[in-house]
Amino acid sequence: MSRLARSLLLGGIVAYLAVPMIAVLLYSFSGRWTSNMLPDYYTLKHWQSAVTDERLIMALWRSIWMGTAVLILDILIVVPAVYWQRVRNPRIRTFTELSAVIPFVLPFVVIAFGILKVMSASVPKILGTPWIILLGHAAIAFPFLYWAVDGAMSAANVVRLNEAAQICGATPLQTLRYVVIPNIGAGLAAGGMLVFATSFGEFALVQILAGARFENVSLYSLDLIAQTTSQAEKLAVLTIITFVVLFIVSVGVVYANRGQIGRLLPGSRAMSGEQG
Amino acid sequence: MGSSEGISLAPRRTAAAPRSSAGILETVGGGLANWLPALPLLALAATMLVVPTIALILGSFGIPHSPTLDYWVDTFQSNGGRGAILTSVRLGIASAMIALLLGGPLAWFVSRMVTATRSVWLSLLNVAANFGGIGLAFAYMAALGTFGMVTLALQDVGIPWIPPEIGSFTSLVMAYSYTNIPLFVLLTLPAMGILRQEWLEAAEVCAASRWQFWRFVGLPVLAPFLAAGFLLIFTWSIGLYGIAYALGGTASSTGQLRLITLQIGLNLNTGVGSEERSYVLAVVLLLLATGALLSYRAVMKRALRWFT
Repeated sequence: MSRLARSLLLGGIVAYLAVPMIAVLLYSFSGRWTSNMLPDYYTLKHWQSAVTDERLIMALWRSIWMGTAVLILDILIVVPAVYWQRVRNPRIRTFTELSAVIPFVLPFVVIAFGILKVMSASVPKILGTPWIILLGHAAIAFPFLYWAVDGAMSAANVVRLNEAAQICGATPLQTLRYVVIPNIGAGLAAGGMLVFATSFGEFALVQILAGARFENVSLYSLDLIAQTTSQAEKLAVLTIITFVVLFIVSVGVVYANRGQIGRLLPGSRAMSGEQG
Repeated sequence: MGSSEGISLAPRRTAAAPRSSAGILETVGGGLANWLPALPLLALAATMLVVPTIALILGSFGIPHSPTLDYWVDTFQSNGGRGAILTSVRLGIASAMIALLLGGPLAWFVSRMVTATRSVWLSLLNVAANFGGIGLAFAYMAALGTFGMVTLALQDVGIPWIPPEIGSFTSLVMAYSYTNIPLFVLLTLPAMGILRQEWLEAAEVCAASRWQFWRFVGLPVLAPFLAAGFLLIFTWSIGLYGIAYALGGTASSTGQLRLITLQIGLNLNTGVGSEERSYVLAVVLLLLATGALLSYRAVMKRALRWFT
């Protein structure tokens, strides 16, 4: 009896999670889909037209380069800060931890609203440019990198490494470059991929701070939804491409963490020791 | 060597004041060196996170124009304002409840699986947890919309099933569950390990039924972790915007669906509604999320006793 209940629950959840993905996949190959459970016939033409659709390619391209730029910016500012608070000035931690909680307490739409108000009162020219998206995304995504790098530096015992490097006469910059960074590779990879993923599919900041002037994957998808049903196949193609990108990223995160997902979530760091 | 010492001696003899100012400079330099590598991050966090938050809180009280409580009074007196807050809270609770009731047992089963099956499940859950936003909204419509695959399939076999209208409360809860259930499992999975197999066996030896084991041992031990997961999913759900906008944007503009995030977004995008109310709603959302996160921390503190 309890075995049956168990199978029903597991099967039900698998079906619930898998059906929408299958539906989107079928949509992207469907020639005509009227009133049956499955499409009437299949075709590759939506994929062919998608790869030549300039607007779709540009939206993808914007999402990709923005995600990459945000990732680079976050690595450049987060790694030195975490290094310094571990080896030199622990008081920095008060401020970084407080800042890292904000994107978890405040929904992105609220952050976007706040940024809009502050920027329109101070530097209105930055609104509508990719720059404000870059800065905004770097701010909302940095906690992922922060926690991952902080955990990796703790695991690598950076304080000891730093002492050893200093005794050998290395400058802080040399220590960071040749000693610390090579030892936190897994944390950088896992946190960095989450930063990229956060920026890649982000919607609230892009919509409110830039709108149509920076049409990324999410904005374009919304536009396709808002149009009449004839766009569903193109949207299906775009959704699958987005999905594959995020899937690769999530596989990468799991691989870099060796299954310790818990470490990347707030407050659960202490729990991952037990699981791993 | 000697001559340079001679030169440096001369100013030093007379320089009591300069020496102390050099000392100050050194402290300032040292202070700067203590903070310098962290400054870019702190500056970014200040301009993009801290100052905007403060601006919203002040804005809800009419600052910098003229300090007033009117915005708050207006929001809580208007049907729209109260409705948005209530619906958001209800949506958060409903979503977190479903995640708890389905994700809790699932987490338990996954934790007891053999490694190979477990990793298949883990990757499925991971993928689902990462799938969100506009793409998920579309996938939901493709499956459970008026012409969705499931709807058509059910009607094909003769079941006259009418799916929940896109943009209704139910449709949002159902769509949110796609990310919420997997997230809940991933959050609580590490905790499932603390329920030892020995305890189950001990309970069996004492002739306790399955139900009794869960009632007196399992659930009391797991309760703080399940509560923590519930609170995180609640926080997450009340703040969701992209998927809510894609599914409920139209319903929101006609007043059929009121959510805090949608009211703010709609106001910013189309100018519908009042900006004053958006400030208050944003701060309400901030307060709700802060409250949930503080409870989460308190609960986690209790929960982590099991790991010491």
